[in-house]
Amino acid sequence: MPDQTHGSGAGSASTWEKGRARRRALALARPYLYILPTFFFLFVFTHWPILRTFYVSFFKWNMASPRMEFVGFANYAQARSAPLFWEVLRNNIVFAIGTVPLTLALALALALLINQKLRGLAIYRALLFYPTMIPMAAAAMIWLWILTPNYGLLNFYGKWLGLPDIHWLGHSKLALWALVLVGVWKRVGYYMVIYLAGLQVIPDYLHEAAIIEGANPWQRFWRVTFPLLSPTTFFVGLMAVIDSFQAIDQVYLMTGGGPGNATNLFIFYIYQNAFRFFDMGYGSAVSAILFLILLGLTVLAFRTLHRRVHYAA
Amino acid sequence: MPRSRPLWRLAAHAILFVAALVMVVPLVWIVLTAFKERNEVFSLVPQWLPAHPTFNNFLGVLDAMPFWRYYWNTLVVAFGILAVQLVTITLAAYAFARMEFPGRDALFILLLVQLMIAPQSTVIQNYLTVTSLGLLDTKLAIMAPYLASAFGTFLLRQTFKGIPRELEEAAALDGCGGFRFLFHVAIPLALPGYLAFGLVSLTYHWNEFFWPLVVTETTNARTLTLGLGIFAQTAEGSADWTMLMAMTLMVIAVPLVLFLVFQKRFINSFMQSGLGG
Repeated sequence: MPDQTHGSGAGSASTWEKGRARRRALALARPYLYILPTFFFLFVFTHWPILRTFYVSFFKWNMASPRMEFVGFANYAQARSAPLFWEVLRNNIVFAIGTVPLTLALALALALLINQKLRGLAIYRALLFYPTMIPMAAAAMIWLWILTPNYGLLNFYGKWLGLPDIHWLGHSKLALWALVLVGVWKRVGYYMVIYLAGLQVIPDYLHEAAIIEGANPWQRFWRVTFPLLSPTTFFVGLMAVIDSFQAIDQVYLMTGGGPGNATNLFIFYIYQNAFRFFDMGYGSAVSAILFLILLGLTVLAFRTLHRRVHYAA
Repeated sequence: MPRSRPLWRLAAHAILFVAALVMVVPLVWIVLTAFKERNEVFSLVPQWLPAHPTFNNFLGVLDAMPFWRYYWNTLVVAFGILAVQLVTITLAAYAFARMEFPGRDALFILLLVQLMIAPQSTVIQNYLTVTSLGLLDTKLAIMAPYLASAFGTFLLRQTFKGIPRELEEAAALDGCGGFRFLFHVAIPLALPGYLAFGLVSLTYHWNEFFWPLVVTETTNARTLTLGLGIFAQTAEGSADWTMLMAMTLMVIAVPLVLFLVFQKRFINSFMQSGLGG
């Protein structure tokens, strides 16, 4: 802080003191004033809702009436004994297992190819990345049309390959995999770009050293590239899993959770309970469970990171 | 990367070409569908090119819904969020990067909580909050949860930290301290960071669907993605693929063209979002 000169008049010694005290108080308060706007919104829309989710989860509360009745763990017990809750959980785990490893493997493979100095690279990159730019709502519409029975593009060419006419989204076993397909298509380009960033910080001399040692490309990938990418894989994997537990747009727009509840995922289940059945207590309890699952995954992943990943990016 | 052999390069081209084709065929298919006549799509063999190209589907969309109102709402929401974020993240990032104060590290962890939690898991409580604030069915309700950004603060803090102390001291000697240093030195140096954050933020909020769905009830505040989703679930929209694809195209056209023109900028921005988050 630049020191400015104040109060040159003879009778202003006390005002000079007061001014100095005020300036010192201001200097102390300044950082807090700077972060105040951020923390105001953060508290109202991030911290407070987390606390309140747990609080409301102990009440029976129908939005229609203002009366909240304390019921202890009854909402959690209700989830435990509801077959649908377990079906939703299982659906979401299948969705994550279907989406995440496939997306990551494809993303890494594409990133390795793109990282060569090939001609037309910018075009490939743009065509692989553009689904990241469009809304999931638009992607859902595109795939609804492609997957539609009889006239859909997929069925045209499926028939051409000798497959029967399949109503993908109406089939209780296939509908979830149709959502997996959309999820992979939408996200693979994004994760490819993140992998590209990881690849670009691997120094060239490591590859050159491996070549001198006589390592073939396959060995170079598994012994040099892949281990050095492990922090990236770790973060990308965690992000992708959390992402798959947040999937809602495609469920809402493509299947409505159906057929039956075959594609009902966590957020859609919360949405149904809170905004269709107005059961805020139960919706909050399921939100709290989801919150704890994701928190648990994050903590677990970070502990693994400390043990397994020895390379700082 | 060392230069690779010609055969390998050819294989790489082949794989990338197929992958790019798989990614882009859906887009080509909807663009072509959008120009077809309504009944043309109900054919049992694929007709790629429209037999009689028509703009009627696009005009039909404008008749069927307040499309421009949705467009305006989307612009206000996306740019409104960004405008407020730029103020909040600049101040917070500057404080966290260049000031010492008690509780700083603990507060920074409280900030990072926003990056670690899944925003969808707090939707019910945020709905209750905007309801009790009387904001339901307004554009402000859609914007409210995003006005502070841990990601943006984190990104800028890195840049601000990189400015050398000597530069700040020299600027202070020249009478350019405090706020003036922030405006005349720190912010201009951080422009690439602002650009990256801005592109990611705009894309995210242009595309968002679920939160706006929860807090809107009428066309008053609804955004494009909602207009699209709601139209798809009406009898008219769900029966008419050509019009639905025309609307999809109208929703994605401008961001997609901007992306193709400024491809590198967009991709670099999203790269940084991965590193920051």
